[in-house]
Amino acid sequence: MTKTMLSTVAALAVIASSAMAEEVRVYNWSDYIDESLLTKFEEETGIDLIYDVFDSNEVLETKMLAGSSGYDVVVPSGTFLQRQISAGAFQKLDKSKLPNLENMWDVINDRVGKYDPGNEYAINYMWGTTGIGVNVDKVKEVLGEDAPVDSLALIFDPANMEKLSACGVHFLDAPAEIIPAALNYIGENPDAQDAETIEKAEPVLTAIAPYVQKFHSSEYINALANGDICVAVGWSGDILQARDRAAEADNGVTIEYHAPKEGALMWFDNMAIPVDAPNPDGAHKFLNFIMDAQNMAAASNYVYYANGNLASQEFLVEDVIGDTAIYPDAETLENLYTTSPYDAKTQRVVTRLWTKVKSGT
Amino acid sequence: MAQTVFAPWDDPQQKPLIQFVGVTKRFGDFVAIDDLTQDIYEREFFALLGPSGCGKTTMMRMLAGFEAPTEGSILLSGQDIAGVPPNKRAVNMMFQSYALFPHLTVWDNIAFGLRRSDMPKDAIAARVEEMLKLTRLSKFGRRKPHQISGGQRQRVALARSLAKAPKLLLLDEPLGALDKKLRQDTQFELMDIQETTGTTFVIVTHDQEEAMTVASRVAVMDEGRIIQVATPEKIYEAPNSVYVADFIGDVNILEGTAKANGPESYAIDWGGAEPATATSARPFSDGQKAHLAIRPEKIAISAERPADAANAVQGKVLDIAYLGNLSTYHVELPTGQVIKAQSANTRRVSRRAYTWEDPVWLSWSATAGVLLES
Amino acid sequence: MRRAVLIAVPYLWLLALFLVPFAIVFKVSLSDTALAIPPYTPTLKDGFSALISGLDFENFVFLTQDDLYWKAYVSSLQIAFVSTIVTLLVGYPMAYGMARAPEEWRPTLMMLVILPFWTSFLIRVYAWVGILSTEGFLNQFLLWTGIIDTPLTILNTNWAVYIGIVYTYLPFMILPIYAALERLDESLIEAAEDLGCSRMQAFWLVTIPLSRNGIVAGCFLVFIPALGEFVIPSLLGGSGTLMIGKVLFEEFFANRDWPVASAVAVILLLILIIPIILFQRNEQRQQEAEQ
Repeated sequence: MTKTMLSTVAALAVIASSAMAEEVRVYNWSDYIDESLLTKFEEETGIDLIYDVFDSNEVLETKMLAGSSGYDVVVPSGTFLQRQISAGAFQKLDKSKLPNLENMWDVINDRVGKYDPGNEYAINYMWGTTGIGVNVDKVKEVLGEDAPVDSLALIFDPANMEKLSACGVHFLDAPAEIIPAALNYIGENPDAQDAETIEKAEPVLTAIAPYVQKFHSSEYINALANGDICVAVGWSGDILQARDRAAEADNGVTIEYHAPKEGALMWFDNMAIPVDAPNPDGAHKFLNFIMDAQNMAAASNYVYYANGNLASQEFLVEDVIGDTAIYPDAETLENLYTTSPYDAKTQRVVTRLWTKVKSGT
Repeated sequence: MAQTVFAPWDDPQQKPLIQFVGVTKRFGDFVAIDDLTQDIYEREFFALLGPSGCGKTTMMRMLAGFEAPTEGSILLSGQDIAGVPPNKRAVNMMFQSYALFPHLTVWDNIAFGLRRSDMPKDAIAARVEEMLKLTRLSKFGRRKPHQISGGQRQRVALARSLAKAPKLLLLDEPLGALDKKLRQDTQFELMDIQETTGTTFVIVTHDQEEAMTVASRVAVMDEGRIIQVATPEKIYEAPNSVYVADFIGDVNILEGTAKANGPESYAIDWGGAEPATATSARPFSDGQKAHLAIRPEKIAISAERPADAANAVQGKVLDIAYLGNLSTYHVELPTGQVIKAQSANTRRVSRRAYTWEDPVWLSWSATAGVLLES
Repeated sequence: MRRAVLIAVPYLWLLALFLVPFAIVFKVSLSDTALAIPPYTPTLKDGFSALISGLDFENFVFLTQDDLYWKAYVSSLQIAFVSTIVTLLVGYPMAYGMARAPEEWRPTLMMLVILPFWTSFLIRVYAWVGILSTEGFLNQFLLWTGIIDTPLTILNTNWAVYIGIVYTYLPFMILPIYAALERLDESLIEAAEDLGCSRMQAFWLVTIPLSRNGIVAGCFLVFIPALGEFVIPSLLGGSGTLMIGKVLFEEFFANRDWPVASAVAVILLLILIIPIILFQRNEQRQQEAEQ
């Protein structure tokens, strides 16, 4: 009898203690933080941090729209943020709990305002561009010394792609980023919302699709670093990570990142709190922690992405703040474009076009 | 019309169908068949009898082609069949488990072997019908093996193995799975079929009664050797060894030393009050160790000593096994030895002259026993 | 009473784990997409009558208007079919070898077949990425032996999908065939040979028919999951690999169109019901035969 009671008490104690420990569940992109920050947050606040990762906005959005994701902080990109706000997936930030908001950079706040007017629902975490990562030696070997590595012609001219296919090309599996780039290449508005214009991207993409080894949004980091592929259309920070991995491995692979001179997509990943977050209070604590200048700088120094935190810039290493691939100069910045979310009908056109490009059907 | 006795083995003009010539079969270190030479003649019903592990199944499997001899050769109609695979031998086998194909009907099972030959379709049908008729299965052709009784399955297996009219049919414990009554009926059926078809049968069995009933000759085997080959009568009446005598039916063995006391007649000093007298064509030297084997039914039992018996000993009834038509008496001799005597119950049991613990006399003639070397 | 409970258990199981989820998916397939949580309308919140009147078969009609869908079904059927045949061709000899192996080896061989299940399916499929990639073990080995001078492109093609499916589902093929072959009485083969069959004929006329139930069970166990397979084509397949599982994923995740995704799933289920019923029949017949 006493034994049973003891074990019952013990079991209850375990349940009670786990219920009492405060938790914050964060759902962020893979390879997107300096992991020592996670421990630091736990140490500073005494909150248990549960950190999960995803690698596509679509997966995140499906979780958000299904509801009850169980996450307290999620990190959607601009257009996705906007759509999810209209679906009622997020709660307004309680700015009184976010004193570090003053560290944010107004330039970025304004741009994110396109998706989240008044920055009511989200804070910017990182931003970057979608551009071209090249294995310099291999590309020059295939295309010659004057290979157009900083131009969209490298990836959208079938003649170039045919040759590059020999050494391997990966594209992001993100129609909302590749289609605008294709439109931009043929002189159309990359932020076009009408089906007719969007469909103009199809012949451009179909012409080069046979030479694309894979459409995937995360494998290219390793593939590029290992020298398995010579060109990747990807996100700036990822390609820079590949550059550093290759340099560390000292495997003779030299990677460069180029935001195409014709213009590149500028995107923003933002932290928001789901409407049904189990611990909104903890979520605010996490956002405030991230907005700390030194913490944000640590994150950027680690992942090679620019952030929307002005105060953090003094703590950034020269490799980051001084690299125009990460913090573009004023001229390039002007050349960057943003896109808006597609409505459901247009989204179907985009997805269908993308399927046709990838599978030929 | 004089009945000719079927005994091709006694006729030097006859050519054997099968000849084992110095056959040895080893599995690793184990010797299954040990330098065995034996002839089997056409139309014989030849039984291989012995305990399990004596090599009888190995002999059969070598005939079927599933095993090859390690040494020596096996001839079928004078041809060495060493390299001939099972499917090319004019030999068929009826398996102990029957090995009927469960996915085929009785009809298709019987037709299975015929279809492997170049026999025309209507000839196959005719042959299958013939086989069904022979084994009284005509009504069951459309059934699957699991839809018929054990006895019927046994007949299907027989029909299937006979369908190709093999020169030689091998039967591996063919009746083992049947109950006793059915087994006895089937034994006679087997003999009938063997006679009707004129096929040579080689049967493997561990059941001596079955071997005695069906076979023209019985080979008693032990540890890879044939101990004795003879007709059932000879095996029973004149076993050539204690092993055979003991293996076939019930026997009393008196062990002692022989001493000639007349032509082909010996006195055996076995430890009893007086030596036993036995005739034997086989010569024994004086003082040679000998075993006198006497079948229980050859020993008479009586309350008084019979006046003219060649051999008589007194003992005490220890046990009576009542078998209906017969009773077997276990009689303990003063030497402590127990002797079995059998007598027909021609009278009602209650009128029996002797019962448990009664002193009785056992007697037998000089020719009743067989004198064997040890 | 106890009987009723015993009968009720499997039915409740079926109800809770199949019929209810299916009803939900079917209901969603009749709905319209919406920018909301959940992303379709109508829902029960709108009241029952509004819910019923808001449902229609529009999404199923839509599936017939774009050739993507039927092409994806056909391509999936084809990939599943070819994989099943290849799995059978690889699995049968393995099962045969196991069943004919000395008795004392069989538990070990069985263990070796089951062993991969101890590792996550995902990890095993990822391992194939490492083997099949241009710089992978296979290419390195082939280059080293000198059989090829330029690396083969296997990863991200249908070949890799076939390899992945065959590898993953092989145990599902081996185990039922092994079970059938192990029960097979060796004397049946000897009987067939005794009656004039060559080894090969005995195999075709006796071994194959008698392991038929195992073959059928194994084929269904491979075909059914392979048809809806998503992970293997997305990890090993190329962009040209068109399978219904991927289409379903796109509808669900890229288009956020749960109703169309549900309609795709309902059709997939209808396609699968035919082989599932056939499979059930086979199992039933086998049980009857054994009685």
